[in-house]
Amino acid sequence: MTTDDPTLAAAVPTVAAGKARHYEVIVVGAGHNGLVAAAYLARAGRSVLVLERRTTVGGTLVSVELVPGVRAPAVAHTVGRLSPAVARDLELRSHGLTLLAPSIRAFAPQPDGRAVVLDADAAATADGLRAWSAGDADAFPEFDRRVRTLARFLAALADETPPDIRVPGIGDALAGLRLGRSFRGLGKVDGRTVLRVLPMAVADFVAEAVESDPVRAVLAWRGVRYTAMGPWSAGTAKVLLDDSAGNDGGATGETVYARGGPGALAEALAAAVRRHGGTIRTDSEVAGVTSRDGRVTGVVLASGEEIVAPVVVGGIDPKRLLTGLVDPVALGPSLRWRAGNLRTPGAVAKVNLVLDGLPDVPAAADDPRRLRGRILVGLTGIDDVERAFDAAKYGRMSDEPVLEATIPSLADPSLVSGAPEGTHVMSVLAQWVPYRLGDGDWDSRRDELGDRVLARLETVAPGITGRVRARQVLTPVDLERDYGLTGGHPLHVEPGLESFFLWRPLLGWARYRMPVEGLYLAGSGAHPGGGVNGLPGRNAAREVLADLRRRR
Amino acid sequence: MPQRYDAVVIGGGHNGLVSAAYLARGGLKTVVLERRHVLGGAAVTEEIVPGFRFSVASYVVSLLRPEIIRELDLPRHGLDILPLDGTFTPLRPGDGPPARVKGADAGDYLWRVNDHGRTVRELRRWSLNDAEAYEEYGQLMVEMARFIKPILGIVPGDPTENDPRPLLPIAALARRFQQLPERQQAVFVQLMTMSAADFLDQWFETDPLKATMSASGIIGTYQGIRSPGTAYVLLHHYMGEIDGAFRAWGIPKGGTGGISTAIANAARAQGAEIRTEAPVARVNTRGDRATGVTLATGEEIEAGVVISSADAKVTFLDLLEPGTLDPEFEAEVRRFKFRGSSGKVNLAVDRLPDFTCLPGPGEHLRGAISFSPSMDEMEQAYDDAKYGRWSRRPYIDMIIPTLVDPQMAPPGKHVISCFVQYAPYRLDPSLGTWDDNREAFGDTVIDRIAEFAPNIRDSIVGRQVLTPLDIERTMGLTEGNIFQGELSLEQLFFNRPVPGYARFRTPVRDLWLAGSSTHPGGGIMGANGRLAALEVLRARGRKAA
Repeated sequence: MTTDDPTLAAAVPTVAAGKARHYEVIVVGAGHNGLVAAAYLARAGRSVLVLERRTTVGGTLVSVELVPGVRAPAVAHTVGRLSPAVARDLELRSHGLTLLAPSIRAFAPQPDGRAVVLDADAAATADGLRAWSAGDADAFPEFDRRVRTLARFLAALADETPPDIRVPGIGDALAGLRLGRSFRGLGKVDGRTVLRVLPMAVADFVAEAVESDPVRAVLAWRGVRYTAMGPWSAGTAKVLLDDSAGNDGGATGETVYARGGPGALAEALAAAVRRHGGTIRTDSEVAGVTSRDGRVTGVVLASGEEIVAPVVVGGIDPKRLLTGLVDPVALGPSLRWRAGNLRTPGAVAKVNLVLDGLPDVPAAADDPRRLRGRILVGLTGIDDVERAFDAAKYGRMSDEPVLEATIPSLADPSLVSGAPEGTHVMSVLAQWVPYRLGDGDWDSRRDELGDRVLARLETVAPGITGRVRARQVLTPVDLERDYGLTGGHPLHVEPGLESFFLWRPLLGWARYRMPVEGLYLAGSGAHPGGGVNGLPGRNAAREVLADLRRRR
Repeated sequence: MPQRYDAVVIGGGHNGLVSAAYLARGGLKTVVLERRHVLGGAAVTEEIVPGFRFSVASYVVSLLRPEIIRELDLPRHGLDILPLDGTFTPLRPGDGPPARVKGADAGDYLWRVNDHGRTVRELRRWSLNDAEAYEEYGQLMVEMARFIKPILGIVPGDPTENDPRPLLPIAALARRFQQLPERQQAVFVQLMTMSAADFLDQWFETDPLKATMSASGIIGTYQGIRSPGTAYVLLHHYMGEIDGAFRAWGIPKGGTGGISTAIANAARAQGAEIRTEAPVARVNTRGDRATGVTLATGEEIEAGVVISSADAKVTFLDLLEPGTLDPEFEAEVRRFKFRGSSGKVNLAVDRLPDFTCLPGPGEHLRGAISFSPSMDEMEQAYDDAKYGRWSRRPYIDMIIPTLVDPQMAPPGKHVISCFVQYAPYRLDPSLGTWDDNREAFGDTVIDRIAEFAPNIRDSIVGRQVLTPLDIERTMGLTEGNIFQGELSLEQLFFNRPVPGYARFRTPVRDLWLAGSSTHPGGGIMGANGRLAALEVLRARGRKAA
C-alpha cells in the first residue's frame, strides 16, 4: 500500500511543486470515482494530479486494520456494481484486483427459523422460494427477467452523458437517438412498464410479482438501501433497478468481494493512475478551488500551497464542491441556493466487528454457505422495514433497525491471515440511522448505536456479542467527518426521483461540467450516481477529454 | 323495443354531466343515467339533518375549468361561486417556536389571507425570512402554474407509439419548458418529484406554515407530506381559477350540489336527457364493441357510444361481462391503485366554534380552518394510516359554509364541513370493519377539533360521518378514493388509468371513460368529461360545436 507510506506522501510535494504548473488536470478526492476519472485522463496522455485529504486512497473504499493482522471493509463492503467496462479499460486485474463472488448472494433469516435465500442461480432461488409460496417460486424467474430487462435500459442511460436540453448539439441528438433506440428496444410492453415502474414505490413493484411478505421485503431491500426512503416511498423502484443496471444482479442483486477488502479495488485504481503517469498525493486537503473571471485556475490546499491547473475535477460530493470549495461570487446566488438545497440526508451507519469465531446462526445451520452472501436482518415484511424507516423521520433510530451484514473473511481468508485461527471479520450496514438526532449527538451516543446493532444481530446469531474482540462504529456524523460525505450520505446525493439523469445533481448541470468553466464533477453526486460502479468518473473523464481536445 | 340514443353516459357526477353537455352540444342524442336519486356524484348537496344542508362529500371548488364555465355558460344556469378568504391554522399553547408563542396559555395561530400584504405582515410575526420568501415563492408558483396549466387540456399520447402525432402537444410543452429560465425549470422538476415537505423546506422555516402548506399536497392521497411525489399538488392551489383570478377559490352557492345542478341544467339546455334512480347493471357488447347498457331493472338502452364516468374498476370489472377484456388489460386494471385515505364529517351546530387562540367569531372563520399545527403531527397522522388505522390526531380541513351562504342552515345555526385525513380504506383486521368504527372515527375528529376549540362538543345538534367505505357505497367510488384512483406519479398522464389507454378510449370499441380515473385526475375540474366528449365527437367526425 505504497500510497499509505507517509514518507513517500511527504516526498511527493517537492516533486509536485516542481511539476505543479504543468498539470493539466487536478482531481480533488481519491475516492473510487476520482481515481477512475484520473486513470482515464492519464491513460489519454493528460498530466494528472490527484489530491486526497486522507492518508489512504479510496474514500469509502477502504480496508481498515481493526486489530493487528485483521483487516475489514470500513464503509462499502461489496463491489458488485463495478462497471465491467471500467475494470477492462483500466486493466484492474493486472493491477491486482481479484473479485470473489459467492454463489449465495443474500440470506435473510426469519423469526420462525427459516430463511429467504437468493442464489446466483435464478432456478435455485425459485426452488428456495417454494417453501414460502409456490406462486412466488413460479413468478420469480419472470420477475428476474423483468428486472434485468428494465435495468438494461437504465444501464444504457448510465453510460451516457445526459443530453444538453438548452442548446442541443449533434452529440446530444446522437445520444437521444441511442437512448431512443434502447427504449424502443424494450418493445411496447416493457417500454410502457419502465415508464410506469420508475416512479413507483418498490413495495408496490415487488407486490406485483410476489405475495409472501418476507420475500417482498428481501427483494425490495436494494430499493431503499443507503437511502432516507422507505419501501412505500415513490421512486424506490428506480433505485432497485439502478442497483441492477450494468451487472449480473437481476432481482437478487450482486454480492461480490474484492480480495483484500474494498481497499484492494482502490489500490488497483491508484496503480492504474500511476501506471499511466498520474500523480497521487495523500494528506493533501484541498481548501478551495481558485478561479479568475469565471474560469478555474487551480486549487489551494489547507496548507496554503497553491497548485495551478486549467482543469479541476471534483471526486467529492457536489454540495461540498459547490458550497464549500468554489468562490460564491463565481457561482452566483441562484446556483448557490440550488446547490445548498441538494438533499444529502445520510441514514446509514457502519459497525465493523472482529469475531474470535464464526457466529452461530441457527437459520444457516444446515447450509453454512449462507453466511458467505449478504446477511439481511429485519427483512421480515414490507411494513417491518417501513417501521424501521419511520423512526428516522423524527430523528430517532429504530429499536429494530434493518441490517445488511457480510463476513468477507469467509470468502477471503487473507483478511485475517495475521490473526489466530478461527478469527473472522463482520461488516454491518445499519439502516435507518438519521444524521440529525432528535436528542443528544452521535459523539455521545456512538456506543449506544453499536450496542443496538449487536442486540439486533443477536436475534439471528445468538451469542455473537460474546465473540466480539473489537468493534468499530461509524455514525453518519463520522462518515461526514472522516470520509467527507456531506450529511453522511454514502451516495453523495439522495438518489430520489428529484435527482435522476438530466437533473443529477442539478438540472442544467448534469453533464459533469460545473458552473465555473474548467470545473467538473466526477463523484457519485453526478449521473448515474453512487454504489461503486465508477461510471460518474468514467463519464466525467470522457467529457473533460472532449473539452480539452476542443480547446486545441 | 329498447330506446336508442347516440350516446349513453353512465353516472351523473360532474364529469358525466359535463361530457353529456358537450356531446349534446355536438349534436348527439344523449342520455345520462344516474344510480342515485340525486345528481352530482361526489359533488352533491343533501339535507342530512332536518334544516341543515351539507355538501356531503366534495366541498370546495377551485379547479373547475374556466373554458367549461364559459362554453356551457354555467353562470346563466345557476352557477354562483362565493369566495372563501384565507387559511387559519389554530395552534395550542406551546406549538410553534417558543420565542414566537404569544400568550403561552392561549396558544398562537397562523392566519393567511388573500390580501398578500396582510399575510406577509402576519408571517413577519413568525419569521422575517419566511415573510420575504413567501413573496418570491408565490410569484414562482404562479409562473409554474401558468406553465403547467395547459397539461390539463392535453389528451396524453402513448410514448411507445410509433405514430408521433398524439405526442405533438407534449413536444410543444417540452419546447415551452426549454424557454423557461433555468431556475424555473429546476423548480418544476422538483415539483414533479419531491415531497411537499422537502420542497417547502427550501424556502421556509416556520413549522406550522410548512405543515399547513404541505397539507394541500396530501389531500386525497395515501401519502404523507414527506412522501416523494406530493409536491406537485401544491401547484393546484395556484392553478385554481374563478373568473380568471389566480388562487381564488370558493364554495358554490347551495353547496357543491349547486355546481352539478348548473351543469345538469346546461346539459338539458343542450338537449341531453337525464335520468336519476337509473342504475346501470351492465354494458352490453357485441363482438368487440359496446352497443348499449342494461339497467338493474332489466330495461335495455341501445347506444352508438357508451361513455362511463364511473371509475376504471367499476367500468371494466363490474359493468362488463367477465371475459370481455383480454387478460393482460384486465391485469393492468386490477393493478390500478385506489386506496381511499380520507373521510368526511359534516356537523350541524347551534353556535360557531370558539378557538382558544383567537376567541369569538370573526373573519378567521370565513375561510379554511386547517388543523395542521406541525409537520411531525402531519407525518404521524400518515404513519398511523400506513399500518391500517385512522389517524389518532388527523389533519382536518374545516369550512363553515353558512358564514358565506346562510341559507344552508336555519337562522343562527351553522353547518361545518370537515375533510379528514387519514382514514385508510383497509383497516387493520384487529379493528374490525369501518361499520364497527364509524362513530369512533367521528369521535376522534371531534376530539381533534376540541383540542383547539373546546366548545365544539356542546354545539353539535347533528353529525354525519363518512368513512371511505361509506364513500364507496354511496358515491360508487372504489375504495372510497375521491379521485377515482390514486394520483401517484405512476398513475398520471399517459399512465392513467392504464398505459396505452390514457386517451379516454378503451379496448372495447365505442366504450369510453370520462371520469377522474382518466387524465387529468380528480377534483371538480370537469376537464376529464370535456376532453372525453371532444375525443368522442372527433372520433365520430363531428365538430365540437
